[in-house]
Amino acid sequence: MSLGVAVETVGLAKDFGSIHALKDFNLKIEKGQVFGLIGPNGAGKTTALRVISTLLLPTSGQAKVFDLDVVRDAGEIRKIIAYLPDEAGVYRNLSGKEYLEFMGRFSARNRNELDEMIRQAADICGLGERLKDRAKTYSKGMKRRLLVARALMTKPKLAILDEPASGLDVLHAYHVREIIKRYVKEHEVTVLLSSHNMLEVEHICDQVTLINKGIIVAEGKPKELKERYGSANLEEVFAKVVGFA
Amino acid sequence: MRRWLALLRGFRNILVKELKELMRDPKILLGMIIVPLIMFPVLGGIMSFSMQTAQEQAQKASVLVLNNDDGDFSAILISNLSTTVKVFVENDTSPEEALSRNLLSHYNSTQFIEIPSGFSINMSENLAGNKSVKASVKIYSVFSGSGMFEDLSSSMFDYFIEGFNRQFQPNIVYSERSSIIKGEIKNVDPRMLSTLMLSQAIAMPITIMILLTYSMQIAATSVAMEKEEKTLETLLTLPMDRFAVLMGKLAGSIFVAGIGAVTYMIGFNFYMGSFTSSFSAGANVDLVSLDLVPSLFGYLLLGISLFVTLLSALALAVILSAFAEDVRGAQSLVGYIYPFLFIPSFVLMYVNIESLPFALKMALYAVPFSHPIIASRAVVMGDYWTVAFGIIYVTLFTLAIMYAASRLFATEKILTLKLKFRGLRKNKKEPVE
Repeated sequence: MSLGVAVETVGLAKDFGSIHALKDFNLKIEKGQVFGLIGPNGAGKTTALRVISTLLLPTSGQAKVFDLDVVRDAGEIRKIIAYLPDEAGVYRNLSGKEYLEFMGRFSARNRNELDEMIRQAADICGLGERLKDRAKTYSKGMKRRLLVARALMTKPKLAILDEPASGLDVLHAYHVREIIKRYVKEHEVTVLLSSHNMLEVEHICDQVTLINKGIIVAEGKPKELKERYGSANLEEVFAKVVGFA
Repeated sequence: MRRWLALLRGFRNILVKELKELMRDPKILLGMIIVPLIMFPVLGGIMSFSMQTAQEQAQKASVLVLNNDDGDFSAILISNLSTTVKVFVENDTSPEEALSRNLLSHYNSTQFIEIPSGFSINMSENLAGNKSVKASVKIYSVFSGSGMFEDLSSSMFDYFIEGFNRQFQPNIVYSERSSIIKGEIKNVDPRMLSTLMLSQAIAMPITIMILLTYSMQIAATSVAMEKEEKTLETLLTLPMDRFAVLMGKLAGSIFVAGIGAVTYMIGFNFYMGSFTSSFSAGANVDLVSLDLVPSLFGYLLLGISLFVTLLSALALAVILSAFAEDVRGAQSLVGYIYPFLFIPSFVLMYVNIESLPFALKMALYAVPFSHPIIASRAVVMGDYWTVAFGIIYVTLFTLAIMYAASRLFATEKILTLKLKFRGLRKNKKEPVE
């Protein structure tokens, strides 16, 4: 049963000079879904996420978030989304708690709301007492957990997560994936995430779109795709779709 | 031996790699090699030109002689002086009267010599053998606070009197010096005044130079750091006006640079104080009583001038850092502004802008960073209009730059701009994720 559309792009294209990063990109994400955009490095995943999160302007076509246009209603969209860039950093000289407070103040309407956000974020990232330490003392995994917590603590209607577990070891990656799964269930948040790790996507996404060289090459539920291409996993599906296998 | 050969081979390999890396980086090539190659010859050219102009002006200068002596020797002195400079003579006129009748501007001169009555009598007495009697002339020079070359015309009189004395008797004539400050005669030697004002002439340009350099580096680094760490992307997707990001960054940089400037000025004050105290020992020159300290209004104008200039420099640094991908790139890019900062500072340290030819003068006025330095002199001399025009110009410049910076922040360009050095390397297409 459809709950409505969270994100929809129609004929979306993005060029950087002579480079066509996205071509005729059509996407539809239902509300409450965890939607995976998967493809190899340089496929155009980040560009798509950046357009949807109002960072980049489309060259042509249209992109809407909860019926708001990314060009016309960028300001309104920023109120309901949270974007986590790939390999993003945190302010080195702020403590984890100060960072969360800084980010929370943009959305919180009062002190109580801010305190609640920080409590939520602390729960999500599980950093405990280390939140009082400066971020420059954190490991890569700790920073990523803090950033994921930051993105989810405001309970955005749409969380856009670019490679949420990128560069993390098995345990940290597992932890981050669990956070996302749990949070979506508890708060009915829609998540659009990108990854080049197709096995990871298989575990948490309801729906996936495979993208290669700026073009959508396949889409569907992970299970359906595997059946359709007679593959054991999404990696094999992708290889078959692009003619590699 | 084998070990040494291996070491040498390793060293050579690393050296070649380093040289390739560094010399192929267009930012380093431009910033470290090409900019200094252009900046210092330009600076040297302007300086030698300025000195030449100052010398020529001193030679071309006209001198008003107030002849209150009716003897033969004053006529000889005037005739001798006429061979060196253009001379206008007014008889039986006191210095105060000359000033009240605006004779200096009438004769387009900045100095006059008074030959007091009894000059010829004293000369005759001395030549007759009474060595204790000496003749004197009084030299009055308009003080303009125009930098280090102000003394040039003053030293011309020393040579002249020395030459005159050589004709008759060593030390027969001595000169007394006075300054004309803001239209009033003050009994202080202009050369001593120049020495005292020197600290101010040097301190202000250096302080401004350091303040602007610091703050531009801070502003550029703060934006580049956000880009490098990818925190800027997060900031730009937050529910707030992007202009707030820009203003917050500028304000933060101003605050930190301000603290730096105050600390620097305190330190520099101690440093200069150690010189001026030894210069002025026994001179007993009080700048306050000479009206050579800016008024409260003057300080206020100077503060505004400095503030708008600082803002323009910061906005410029933010724009430049938008072209960089990381902190190193941003710092190199900001380096390109430095010639526009250093050249006016060094030139104005030595030269009065008004003494420069029109084109050069306009070029210096066009650089916003010149204005607080010009203002620092103008407020001392009570020339508030010059400061006000400077403030208006720099404010307009700043608004234009701020508008450009806010447009950058409002669009995707803040993330996608990259400086391309097409002439220096092949414009490689980079993959887009």
